[in-house]
Amino acid sequence: MAKKARKKLSLLDTLVWIIGIVVYLFLILPILVIVFSAFSPSEYPEFPPTGFSLKWFTAVFGNPQWLDSLWISVILLIIVTPLTVILGTMASYSLARLNFRGKELIQSLILSPLMIPQVVLGIGLLYLFTMMGINGSIIALVVGHMIVCFPYVVRTVSVSVSNLNPVLEKASMNLGATPMQTFYKVTIPLIKPGILAGAVFSAVTSFGEISISLFVSAPSTVSVPVRTFGYIDQTFDPTINAISVIFIIISVFALVIIEKTIGLSKVM
Amino acid sequence: MRKTKKEKQQVFQWLLLIPTVLFFCVFLVLPFVLLIVLSFRDIDSMQNLLDTYSFSHYIEVFTSDIYIDAILSTLGLAAVTTVLCIVFAYPAAYLLVRAPSRRLRALFYILLVSPLLTSVVIRTFAWIVLLAQNGLINDILLKLHIISEPLSLLWNMKAVVIAYVQVMLPFAVLPIATSLSETNPNLRNASMSLGAGRIQSFLKVTLPLTIPGIISGAMIVFSLAAGSYITALLVGGRMQPIFPLSIYQQVMQVFNLPLAAAMSISLVFIVLIFVGILGLILKRWEARMHG
Repeated sequence: MAKKARKKLSLLDTLVWIIGIVVYLFLILPILVIVFSAFSPSEYPEFPPTGFSLKWFTAVFGNPQWLDSLWISVILLIIVTPLTVILGTMASYSLARLNFRGKELIQSLILSPLMIPQVVLGIGLLYLFTMMGINGSIIALVVGHMIVCFPYVVRTVSVSVSNLNPVLEKASMNLGATPMQTFYKVTIPLIKPGILAGAVFSAVTSFGEISISLFVSAPSTVSVPVRTFGYIDQTFDPTINAISVIFIIISVFALVIIEKTIGLSKVM
Repeated sequence: MRKTKKEKQQVFQWLLLIPTVLFFCVFLVLPFVLLIVLSFRDIDSMQNLLDTYSFSHYIEVFTSDIYIDAILSTLGLAAVTTVLCIVFAYPAAYLLVRAPSRRLRALFYILLVSPLLTSVVIRTFAWIVLLAQNGLINDILLKLHIISEPLSLLWNMKAVVIAYVQVMLPFAVLPIATSLSETNPNLRNASMSLGAGRIQSFLKVTLPLTIPGIISGAMIVFSLAAGSYITALLVGGRMQPIFPLSIYQQVMQVFNLPLAAAMSISLVFIVLIFVGILGLILKRWEARMHG
């Protein structure tokens, strides 16, 4: 009787595991497909593969348009990441320590770009930047990216701050340090893993941002995702495969850094 | 003496918060307010802005068949995506929480997070490679002689749903995994030792305890699915009745910004209503579970 129950149990367990594994395969499928087709010599990838080729990579790096876009994307990432990380770290720290009316409102305001329809964020910023006369500039793109990256930074840093014992800060203050010194010398070093993970998330998000960029960029400020969008929208161009592999390599790097600093399971 | 120190610290903490609050006021709240004002402004037949205000754009949105159709099918799309995401997310979350070794759990996390770290354009492109007429799926099916003519898998709502589920699934898995890991396994064991079967224990004990995770996952997936346009445009094509896509086209092709603003504000409120209802259900449920 007991044996029968256990057998039934394991059958059910196996079923759940099979479904679960299929779901994970489904999640990773697009990435596998891209890696597979980036090295394929024919325009449309074939299965089984007919050969191995790096020609799509040479096509990307031989094309000045793609190089321009790569340059724009890298510049954006380099400006957006430190700005978002500095502001986001400051904000998450004070939101964790301060208690005031309306705190929840500010918290949800900062996290809201995750939930607001992207098309609405894009149009709102497009309209504002046009009024300010800066639409299509690097500044416009920087601001748009910062809005999207903020929630990720605040979430990862908040995890670190909530694990931090306020007694340590109190001790530093009692020993005569000013609030500023305490923040620099005690708080920041202790929440460094969260800050680093936030920076990685921010950099990756900025590098892949499209929904807002599409609205606020000009022909001279076309980032890699926006150019990719244009290529896909108009034709089927296999050089996109090579571009995609660059994105995947970056996200693998990001994964490794996050796992080594704070642990994936903690930030998500 | 100590009090002044505490006050000093509080002033410092406020100073740290203010730049961010200002940033969000200028670049998130202000554009939204401007959009609301713009959505009421009249335009002439050449789409020049006039100085008069009216509800005309909202009337246009909610009386034209095209837009009503687009709103309804967007809500349907978001609902289907949400349900599929939750159904598939549950076993994935279960594996994540119950993985027997740390290594395996880390692997599941990597599989889960890596799509999040890859740009939406790239993931969408992969679906085009898979689903196109001469794409991988048709290629394999033809070579296996399962079909003799390539199937048209792209440029329809089904393709959009498949791509949406893949893009948004991690957002459903993570909250469900969190609430699964918070459930006390003793409760389930107690239920089973009292004679309940495994399925019965799941339905009566585990599932109710993870409802909060399910609902918060549903809230995120629903609002993402109702507001995205990039994937819809690339996989579904320009002709799909998807509301965010209509908004994008109003701005980029028709250049009717006030109408696009009215559509945007309508979309935000429609999404808010649905997410708000889910939030209410969540509150009710938590009140029932804990009190």
